[in-house]
Order: sequence, then structure tokens, then C-alpha cells
Amino acid sequence: MSKPTVGIFGLTGCAGDQLVILNCEDRLMDIVALLDVRDFLMASSENDTACQLDIALVEGAVTTRRDAARLLAIRQRSKALVALGTCAVWGGVAALDRGQDRARLLDEVYGEGHPDYDSIPAQALHEVVPVDLNITGCPIEKEEFVAAIAALLNGDVPLAVEYAVCTECRMRENNCLLTERGELCCGPLTVAGCGARCPELRIACVGCRGPVDDANSASLVKVFEARGFAPQDIAARLRTFAPQGVTS
Amino acid sequence: MLLADEVATYHPVLSGNPYQPHMARIVRIHKMVDNNHLFTLRFMEDHLAHSFRHQPGQFIMLSVPGAGEMPISISSSPSRPEVLELCVRRVGRVTAALYRLKTNDVLGVRGPYGNGYPMAEIMGNDILLAAGGLGMAPLRSLLWYALDHRDKFNNITLMYGAKRPEDMLFREELLALVDRTDINCLLTVDADPSGAWRNHVGRLPALFDHAKIDPLRTYAAVCGPPVVYKFILQRLLDLGFPKNRILMSLERRMKCGVGKCGHCSIGYNYTCLQGPIFTYWDAINLPEMI
Amino acid sequence: MKILKLPKEKLDLFASVVQQFGELHAPVEQDGRYVFKRLTRWSDARLEYDRTILPPKKYFLPPKETLFRYRPGEGFVPHTDGLDQRIILFGVHACDVYAINILDRVFAGKYQDPYFQARRKNIAIIGIDCTPDKQCFCRSMRADFVDHGFDLFFYDTGNYYQALVGTALGDDMVLATGNLFEPVDAADIEAYKQRSIDKRRAFQLDVEIRDLPEIFEMEYQSEMWEELGARCLSCGSCSMVCPTCYCYDVNDDVELGSRAGKRTRSWDSCLFASHALVGSGENFRGTREARIKFRFYHKQRGFVAEYGRPSCVGCGRCTSACPVHIDVVEVIDRLRRVQDVASR
Repeated sequence: MSKPTVGIFGLTGCAGDQLVILNCEDRLMDIVALLDVRDFLMASSENDTACQLDIALVEGAVTTRRDAARLLAIRQRSKALVALGTCAVWGGVAALDRGQDRARLLDEVYGEGHPDYDSIPAQALHEVVPVDLNITGCPIEKEEFVAAIAALLNGDVPLAVEYAVCTECRMRENNCLLTERGELCCGPLTVAGCGARCPELRIACVGCRGPVDDANSASLVKVFEARGFAPQDIAARLRTFAPQGVTS
Repeated sequence: MLLADEVATYHPVLSGNPYQPHMARIVRIHKMVDNNHLFTLRFMEDHLAHSFRHQPGQFIMLSVPGAGEMPISISSSPSRPEVLELCVRRVGRVTAALYRLKTNDVLGVRGPYGNGYPMAEIMGNDILLAAGGLGMAPLRSLLWYALDHRDKFNNITLMYGAKRPEDMLFREELLALVDRTDINCLLTVDADPSGAWRNHVGRLPALFDHAKIDPLRTYAAVCGPPVVYKFILQRLLDLGFPKNRILMSLERRMKCGVGKCGHCSIGYNYTCLQGPIFTYWDAINLPEMI
Repeated sequence: MKILKLPKEKLDLFASVVQQFGELHAPVEQDGRYVFKRLTRWSDARLEYDRTILPPKKYFLPPKETLFRYRPGEGFVPHTDGLDQRIILFGVHACDVYAINILDRVFAGKYQDPYFQARRKNIAIIGIDCTPDKQCFCRSMRADFVDHGFDLFFYDTGNYYQALVGTALGDDMVLATGNLFEPVDAADIEAYKQRSIDKRRAFQLDVEIRDLPEIFEMEYQSEMWEELGARCLSCGSCSMVCPTCYCYDVNDDVELGSRAGKRTRSWDSCLFASHALVGSGENFRGTREARIKFRFYHKQRGFVAEYGRPSCVGCGRCTSACPVHIDVVEVIDRLRRVQDVASR
């Protein structure tokens, strides 16, 4: 059986998800042995930028018309398109300013009289092209990525996590930052898979993986408010990584 | 807690492990209907192939290696042992993985589980089998069991409806029953675009006009999508069927099949232990049943 | 039952002797809360703890465990690593022992769970009496005293621990200490009884569980479920920390470039949206309201039909773990009040 052809791309993001792939040190040789990586600018200076791809892994949000055009081109040459990381799946931090006056934002950042920059409100990949699979995380989890590749190689859809960070946090027997310490912890709304890494280190969950299916943010917001958090602080926290996913 | 004299000698023995799948080979894949294939399996261990017995209505847990495990009702009759026939619809990731397998590939099987149809109770009575769409899958075991033990039952009526002729499960073998005199086999389709269908056209409940049913000496086994239950159950009640003579086969999420994992519980019943065959009486007395 | 007493100052000595029977685990402090953990030194044990974050369930039904390894050609090979590890859980409260006894019934029956059973056989339990706090209602749930399910159970009677010997292994532990334990006399029994009376008086919560099946039947359509459904976050915290929640999920994962892999089971919750979702897309408990109702219904009503008592032991963990303050005692009380009014 011929190895599936793969392209790994970054739109607007921090390149952290591509870095996670390169950081799979112990598995990298296996991955390369099983995948025919044709186009991966971050790792190689020689790329086939036109070939057909079985799998395209795309990181980052669409924040420019150039991003959108690149994404369309990637979609056209790929059988399966995988959104990699929170920015690609949900829009991520780049999408924080959605809904605000774009021209004013540009003036604020670059000063009045700035050149005409290519800048559009940030979008998740699925808002621009059809996406076949989402692997969320900021950055993605190595284990989840490797498991997803293993499943895809067998033709299986990777297993999706369907529960909140709280579940993993409780399994690890952490003290609850929300109920015990009254912190603004987004664990109940955030999809698990990270092993509750932050709460394990006594840092409240900021929701970096995006919302769990069926997130009940209205109810949690009431709890936060009752604990004395200001509505704008709660809204800012919930909006940070997935502006479209969680609304209060 | 270990008794003191066992401390030195105890080793975990998992030989009685109820979760242990036994490997079985795919003998045949029959593409009955798009996304509804009939898989014929034979246990690789001969003694299992010879000794495996089930009741009509029971199910097995089927493992597709690397993809997962799922409950599947047994479509073959215990009167035809040695192989297991499973009618599986392609709906999710595990069934999708199953559909990529080929003849001679290997699967895991454990079971049979569940209570099956109460055969001892049904014997000596009339049977009405009423199925819509995929509901024929579990009923087919009961159908052939009854036909293979024809003298144990009185009148047998089968009512089966599908959308179109090409959506009908087990179509060829059921069509062959239409002319038999020891069963009233009534097949209907909602629509027949090709015009080649020689049986009934119309909704399933309309078949009651062609059947002679004595509600007080008949057990009705019903299976199908919710809409089938809705109309058939009402019809049976109108005819005067006692609620405990209407038998339904229910589908639930299951991860163990043996009453542990909790997924299939309905009220305080586990579908895997007390079901999947429930009487209509059970159904109306348990919350969330249908 | 064999009853002995151990002078309190000899407890350290007993602990050191008992280690011969297995790896010693006990509650230790973690940021002001408690967890059962392997002891590195006896002085870390906090036998006066209120409750651990996770119940001892984690030892018998771990949050995640491998059931099988799959290799093409070999099939599913049971994974037995660690099942024969001998552990001594020191300092288990009565409600938690009671909960393990309930799990015993779930994982027994026609289909015995060999993983649970193996661990149950290899993990010894030394119980310890406790003082109820404002979240405890084990007495209401009839789980404040256990007559089996432990190897030894210690009651603090002042200068002594009075010890109930539950099993031959417990007796062996006693014998292994030489003459550390002493026989009890009438005064000791009196001291024990006084201790029981004091403990019962210390309960601040009381919930009436008589007629619960009837009440739950009558209040199946109660508006309260809708309200609870609107509040519930489906975060699963209550199920994770519950000593008798045993629902589990099973998943297979494969190794890179292979069909070989392993079958894992992990804790699950009936509050998750996927709990009753079937392959065809139908969800039998698609709403949060239906799910939270199911959780209460199964624990307080369904289990009674199946096993003769609610599966709740009144440990109070779910109430303190719930981010939106869904309180089991309050739920039962509210249902009862509605019912009392309705039945007048």
C-alpha cells in the first residue's frame, strides 16, 4: 500500500501545533515512515507545493484574504482536511476582536494613515471550507495527534473526547480550583484531552481547547457572578479561545 | 479481601473473563442493501463453533479489532447453528471499520447476551412478526426458528414493510416465503418506482387487512423505527392484544453487554440483562423506554 | 465478631507490622484536602481526615485501565498487570466501605468482573471511625456502620482503638503484632456505645429515605428536574467523586501503523450527552434534564428495585464537588415536600 501523501500548513497562528508535530521525537521516525510528507514548509525547504494530498493538516486561523485563498487552494488539492489546534478549530485568540470595527482596530494598532493591510475578522477553518476532522488544543496534544494519525492510517475516524476538563481533573484527584478556591476556572465548559494539565499545576483552566459539546455556559456564568466576578471579566475569559463556541 | 491462607497462592485468574472476545472469521459478506450487509461468522475455535447456542432475540458484542466493540443482534436462527449471521447497518466508526473488512478477516465475538424472546411461552400459540425497515434483523432469527420448528407453533404471520423493494432486508428469502402455505408472508413497500414489485404497496399497518389475527392466542413480535412502533402498537392494542403478549426489541448504547457499564439502563433495568426483548407492558412502565 | 482493643500509642507499631501484608496506603493531605496515597512514612497519614477527594473506588475500579491488548494473530489478550498487587488501605471510613460493598454486588452476579474481583481480593481494608461534618448524611443512608467488607475496623474510644476483626486476614494482622492487641471488657464496650451515641448526635444533616421509590415515581414529572437540568454543567464531577458510580466507557486505540492496540475502560458519567446515544444517532437521554433525572432516579429509586437499597451512601462528595451547588439532600427534601403536600 502506498503511503498517504501529507501536507502540513500554517495560516495565522503561532506555529505551535506544527512544532508539536516536530516535537514528537520518539514517534517522529514512525510517523515519517508511515506518511509521505510532501509539503511542510516549517520542516523542509524543498516542498512539492502543487501535488495532490491525501491529508492536509492545517494550523492557524484565517485572518487575511491571503489565508483564505491559501486555505481554498489546500482544500482543493486534499482528500481530507484536518484543522489542527484551537485557532484552526475555533478561531482562537485571533478571533477575540470579531464583531469590532475593523478599520478602527487597524488605526489603533498601526496609527492613522497606515497602508491598506490585508486583514479580515479571524475565522475558524470550517467557516471557510469544509473540514473533515478537528484536533483541538493550544497547542495540540502529542498523544492525541499520534492517536489520530494511527486511526486515520487504519481508515478510522479518531475518537473524539466528549466530556469536560473537570472529568479528567477529578480523575487526577486535583483540588477543585472552582469550588474550593473560587477561581475563574473554565474546566466545566472546556473539552478535555489535556489531562487537566493546568489545574494539576493549580492554574485555573482558561478554556484553551475550546468548548465541550453541550457546554452550559449560562449556568456557569451565574456561578461566577455569584462568586463576585465582573461580567466583563467572565465574558473576556470565555471568549478568549473560542468566540463562537461559548457565549454567555 | 484475601483470606489469609490465600495470600500466598492467589493469582488473578481471568479465565472466566466475561469481557473476553473470541475470534471469529468472516465467512461471507452479503450486500443485502446499501449500508446493510449480512456478515456470516464462524468461530475460529471449533469447540465454540459447535457449542455456541443462542435464543432468538439475543445479541452478541462484536469487536472490530482496533476500532471498538458494539452490540449486534443475531439474525440467524439457533436452529441453524455453526455460523452466526449478523445484519449490520453502517452508521458509526465501528461499523465503518467493519465494512472495510473482507471475507476471511477476523473479528471478536462474545455472548450471547440478553433475554431473547420467551420461546417456551410462545410455543403452541400463533406468532405475528411485524417489522419495518431494519427491524427485520432481530426478527429474522425468530422467523426461521419458528419455521424450522413448524409443528411447535400455530399460525405464523409475517408483516414486513420497507421504503422501496431495494431497501428490503433478506428480500430474496422472504419473497420465497410468499407462496408457502405454512406462513402468511405479507411484504409491502411504500413506493415501487421500478414497477417490478409483485407484492403489496402501501403502509405497513394496511397489511392487517390481509391477515387473520386472533389477539388472544397470538404473540406479536414487533421491531422497527419509532414510527413503526407508534402505528403497529396502536393497531395491536385496538385489536385487543394483551400488553404482555406484544414483544419489542430495543436498541441501546452498550459497552459491556453484561450489566456493568451502565449505558443501556432504562429506569432500573439494564437492556442487556432484562432486554433487549421487552413486553409492551414493560415498555409503558419504564421511563424513557421508547 | 471478634472485638479487641489497641492502645492508641501502639498504632504506629501496628502500622509498621501491618506493612508486611502489603503496600500501605492512607489518606494524606493535599492542599488542605485529602487523598488516599501510598505512604512514604507513617507520619504522613491523616487518620482524622474528613473525606478524600476521590473515594477508595479508584483502587478497585481505576479511572482508566487496560482490559486487553490486541495483536493480529493472537487476538485479545487480557491485561493483568498490577492485579495481584497487595495493598493495605488504612483509614477507610464506614460509608466508603459500604460503597465498596455495593460495588461488590454490581461487579458480581452472573457475569463477574474479574478485574474488580482480583483487586478486591488483593486489597486489604482497615477501616477507621470518623466524626460527621456538615456534609455527612451516611446515617440517613444507613451507611454509618458496616458489619462486613473490611479486614479490621478501628473505633476511637479515648485511650484505645477498639478493633472489629472482619476477616481471617485481619486476624492474621492482629496475630502478627504479637500481643499488641488486648481483649475488651464490659467497660470498653460501654465506651464504644457512648462513642456511637456521641457520633449519632454529631450528625448535622438528616434526610428521610423511607418511601424514596414511591416519591421518585410520583415526582417523575416534577418541574424541579427542568430546573436542575438548566443548572447542571454535565461536567461529570459528581460521578467521578461518587463512591458508587460505576458507569464506564470502553474504547480501543491502535498503535501507529498497525491494527494492534489496546482496549481501555475509563470512568464515565450518565450526565454526558453521549451516555445514551446510539450509533444511528438516537439519544435516549438527549437533554440535561433527562440525564440529571436519570442520575437521581437510578441511585435513589432504581437501585432500590435492583438491590434493596439506594446506592447513595451519604458521603457528601457530590454536593461539595458540584460547581453549581446541586445538593442531593436538598433534592430529596424538595421532592419529599412536594410529595407530602400532594398526599395530604
